[in-house]
Amino acid sequence: MRHFVIVGILVIVMASLTYIGLDGIGLMPVAASAQAIPIDWLWNWQVVAMSFLFSLIVVPMGYSLIVFRKKKGDTTDAEHVEGNTNLEIAWTVLPLFLVMIFAYMGAFSLGEVLRVDPNAMIIKVKARQFAWTFEYPDTGIVSTELHLPYNRQVVLEMESEDVIHSFWVPEFRVKQDVVPGRVTEYRITPSLVGSYKVRCAELCGTSHSYMEAPVIVDEVADYDAWISEQKALTAAAQTPEGQGQLLTVSNGCVGCHSVTSTSLPTAPTWFGIYGSQVALADGSTVTVDDAFIRESILDPKAKEVAGFSPTIMPPYTLTDEQIVNIIAYIKTLK
Amino acid sequence: MSHTNDKSSALTQGVIIFAYLAVLTVIEYLIAVSFNAVSILVVVAVIKAALVMYYYMHIYKLNQDSEGDEHSYSYKTDTNRLGLWLFLLSDAFVFAGLLTVRMNLLGFTRPHLNQILGLAVTVVLLVSSFFMNRGETAMAHGDKKGFMNNVLITFVLGLGFLLGVVMVEWRLAAAEGLTASKDVTGAVFYMMTGMHAFHVFTGLIFLFVVWNNARKGVYSAEKHWGVEAAAVYWHFVDLVWIFFYPALYLIGKLV
Amino acid sequence: MKRFFSTALMRGLFWQFVGTLVGAGLVTGIRALMGLSVTDKFFFTEPAWVLGGFFGVLFFLVGNGVTGDWIKWARGIDTPEHHEEHYSGWEKYFNVSLDHKVIGIQYTVTALVLVSLGGLFALIFRTELAQSQLQFLTQDLTLFSQTGPQLYNTLMSLHGMIMIVSILLGIAGVINYVVPLLLGAQDMAFPRLNAFSYWIAVPAAVLLVMSLILGGFDTGWTGYPPLSARAPVGMQMFFLGVFTAGWSSILGGLNVIVTVVRMRAKGMTAMRMPIFVWASIATSLISLTATQLIGLSFQLVMFQRLFGMGFFDPPKGGNPILFQHLFWFYSHPAVYVFVLPGLGVISELLPVFVRKPLFGYRWIAMSSLGIALVGFVVWAHHMYTSGMNEYLRVPFMYSTLLVAIPTGVKFFSWVATLWGGKITTPTPMLFVLGGILSFLLGGLSGPPNATVSTDLHLQDTYWIVGHFHDTIFGGFVFPFFGAIYYWFPKAVGRRMNETLGKIHFWLMTPSFLVLTLLMMRVGLLGMRRRIADYDPALGFDTYHLIMTIMGYLIGISVVIFLYNFFNSIKNGEKAEGNVWNSRSPEWQVPSPMPTHNYDRPFEVIGEPYDYGLANAEYIRFLEPEKSKHK
Repeated sequence: MRHFVIVGILVIVMASLTYIGLDGIGLMPVAASAQAIPIDWLWNWQVVAMSFLFSLIVVPMGYSLIVFRKKKGDTTDAEHVEGNTNLEIAWTVLPLFLVMIFAYMGAFSLGEVLRVDPNAMIIKVKARQFAWTFEYPDTGIVSTELHLPYNRQVVLEMESEDVIHSFWVPEFRVKQDVVPGRVTEYRITPSLVGSYKVRCAELCGTSHSYMEAPVIVDEVADYDAWISEQKALTAAAQTPEGQGQLLTVSNGCVGCHSVTSTSLPTAPTWFGIYGSQVALADGSTVTVDDAFIRESILDPKAKEVAGFSPTIMPPYTLTDEQIVNIIAYIKTLK
Repeated sequence: MSHTNDKSSALTQGVIIFAYLAVLTVIEYLIAVSFNAVSILVVVAVIKAALVMYYYMHIYKLNQDSEGDEHSYSYKTDTNRLGLWLFLLSDAFVFAGLLTVRMNLLGFTRPHLNQILGLAVTVVLLVSSFFMNRGETAMAHGDKKGFMNNVLITFVLGLGFLLGVVMVEWRLAAAEGLTASKDVTGAVFYMMTGMHAFHVFTGLIFLFVVWNNARKGVYSAEKHWGVEAAAVYWHFVDLVWIFFYPALYLIGKLV
Repeated sequence: MKRFFSTALMRGLFWQFVGTLVGAGLVTGIRALMGLSVTDKFFFTEPAWVLGGFFGVLFFLVGNGVTGDWIKWARGIDTPEHHEEHYSGWEKYFNVSLDHKVIGIQYTVTALVLVSLGGLFALIFRTELAQSQLQFLTQDLTLFSQTGPQLYNTLMSLHGMIMIVSILLGIAGVINYVVPLLLGAQDMAFPRLNAFSYWIAVPAAVLLVMSLILGGFDTGWTGYPPLSARAPVGMQMFFLGVFTAGWSSILGGLNVIVTVVRMRAKGMTAMRMPIFVWASIATSLISLTATQLIGLSFQLVMFQRLFGMGFFDPPKGGNPILFQHLFWFYSHPAVYVFVLPGLGVISELLPVFVRKPLFGYRWIAMSSLGIALVGFVVWAHHMYTSGMNEYLRVPFMYSTLLVAIPTGVKFFSWVATLWGGKITTPTPMLFVLGGILSFLLGGLSGPPNATVSTDLHLQDTYWIVGHFHDTIFGGFVFPFFGAIYYWFPKAVGRRMNETLGKIHFWLMTPSFLVLTLLMMRVGLLGMRRRIADYDPALGFDTYHLIMTIMGYLIGISVVIFLYNFFNSIKNGEKAEGNVWNSRSPEWQVPSPMPTHNYDRPFEVIGEPYDYGLANAEYIRFLEPEKSKHK
């Protein structure tokens, strides 16, 4: 009897310490969405249950290993206890209650996460190997950065051009796969201004590790300013170079090709590339001229650049005019 | 009606069961043509399947007590029988998976297929099961000649089914534009009929093996496990088609 | 040496090589006649490699002789019921034997080989992950026609599947060796099928390794299309290898069920069977049936690649999510295949080292069946974020949470068994306890995955990786080692070294626990799974460095185990009696186990776990068999 009391006390102590410890080390990233609240609420109760159940098993086990050790020289067996039906029923029925409660909490939490705001703003997301593109339908803006206004529900309508990807911002908690052949929805209400990253969360090929995009949650005023600025850029992009730049964003090129002097591991940088000599994978060198760029867009495998071979770039079908504009844009990068 | 033991009434029972199967098949076809009620078609298929499993495949034998101790031929045959049925249970999961694929991808549509041909090959397979049952019954009563003749007919009919599907139906379908690579309708059709045809093919090999061994005098009325196994496997192949036929030919609207 | 090259293993591999060429040549020839291309990046075209791979398996099985008797039966030639051992010593294990004990050891050793290979792959990619940014698996590296990142994906994917196959072989090893002994049977119900089930796994493993050199594949072990439909040729070798290995699991499961139903000793009613037998049945019910679905799902992708059949190709009306349903319909129950035997080992060994009955034997027996059955209806919890029908998520959440109940019954029963006992902790018991602890962590990290909203954050992160490593080590790896330390004396007549065993345990266990706890930590904070590189700004570098070191420590502990295992065969301390003072039937006869198991059959006259009850015999040996051979 004494054993049960000691173990009982130890279980409660250990469960409390475990929970306090887990709570204290900050298990989750900062919560930056309204949807994170019901998720973190449920998560917290899961941690409570985990702490308690862990202690409930580990403490009696540890206690037994110490107190019920076989004494040296004792060759007899222990007490013949076959079972206890009441106990069996208890530890079947009580967990069943616990399971039902968590199932209900789970359903409730999910309902909260999926709450629909009829005034939610729609943004289209295009995912492809290995870049994200975001399109704002009402303004025609296309961007490689997802800008969101603080405290307004947004519904992302997501499509994939090739394989299954997955949209996830840890601070938002919610995750949703992007599946070719259908549109999947991601509903989020950002609740903390800041800079985050969306990183693809479903293995999508060689550069899956690098498939990411900035997600910027702005105060409404700053968000509106960004929208205006983007609209102006789109309008101003009447030149071939401007059109070319828009194309490189809407087709996701700049997800892999850097346009600054810092190159990305995924593809050759365009900065300063026009007119230069590049080494190819087969050992030869070639000058980066119009013909080379055109060929690289239409048939990337034709001349693979050293260090980026075998190429992961898919071929793009673009019109002659579009290619000319892109080349014009690339020329400006120096 | 329970299973019977003496030869002539066993043969008669085989005929009666075949008659039931034939009538049910006709009913099935008429229902599909007239008001296409999926649930009734499923029920009919289940009834046909139950008849085949009980009277042709003798599933009740799984429950019988062995004669003799664990070293007797009877005990070992009963053990083998359990093994065979578990194998068929496993194989059934593949076909259930294919039916799931069909329902998910095609829903309540069906490919445009030649109905006469479909009904014809179905009848051929059912008749082959009839003759297989006759053959097995013959061997169970020591009639080697009867067994060999009936199995030969079974083989010919089975070959007829195989050629009817692969050489005729497939060609006809492809000519009408139902190809494996055009869209999922074709893919599902060829996959289902192909997997089934593969099992018909292996069943034919099995039939040949036991026919040949019977010729060499390997089997007797008391010891013919190979024959029973071949028969049960053959009926299983028919069983799958009992479900695949309505799934491909009868259920749903034309695409 | 010459005798080695004439073993069934080498003959099989030789014929697999020949068969591969024949199959590939056949397709190439047909393609030439049809005016299609005959060569490709890896010499043969993909269809040629596929038929080659398939023929390779068939040729292996015929060439190594394991199908010999069946071929004779097909020709009407009878074969002797009783099978003599043609070989002795090491040769036994490299040739075809129909003895379940030899087959059990063949399975076990092959499992250890694959565990080591899978572990080696893990150490390679863990070394890459130790620091952020690519260190050696860089874009510039080209090995087996893959760049560093591509090779990373292949190694990571193969780590998963090779480990899974090693688990299937490992459980087959323990089950095959032990179950007939527990039942009092002379062998499994179908000895030739048993040998076949083992030998088919060998060419399957070869195919998996071949995928590495045929361009690899980048999908993870789950092989989701559309990515798997466009992966390199290595993908097909992977699919074919898994398909082939699946047959080992299916046929093995069939054999176990029939053996348990038909070959039990007199008086061994269902509720008097050793508990490990219940675990084996539950496992086998799953492996017999559900495995066909992973075969089907992979077959459909293979045909999509070969013939353009658009099952999972949206432009053709295909549905990528259908693949996931078919795949997980097997792959979830599969994880119960992985752990139920190990949990059975825990239940089997605890009474021996606690000197007390297994608490609530019937409930534990039923809990194995309960887990197996409920396990069939939870699969879509792997698909909460997949885009499948929304309304499916909540029912699967309920069913998934329900699995916790029979699992909980096991934990509580184990604690109650320990409570009030007289506990000793030799190495087998240490691994049992380590298994309970790991499986506890794995089980407790499950419910947050079951509830949909929390899973939205956890899916595809290292939290999941930590969860399944804990459950797999707890349910398989620890009990597997425990079972080997425990039954080694029964098989060999010698003990494994106790000191080395303890070092193995104390090196492996803390390292492993730290590894998985850190996995869970970084997963919660944003570390995605299946990535070759991670952002330094995430601040995970130190965690990853520690995880890599833990991985190496685990590897070292396994090396120590392997040395102990092989060395003890010849040099272990002799142990010919009931080393653990167990009530179980196999320990009532001397070690090593005689070839035909029990010279005198036994009858069950009591309960298996009546420790502490005076004069409570479990079995009684009967008069020797009149006819020795059946």
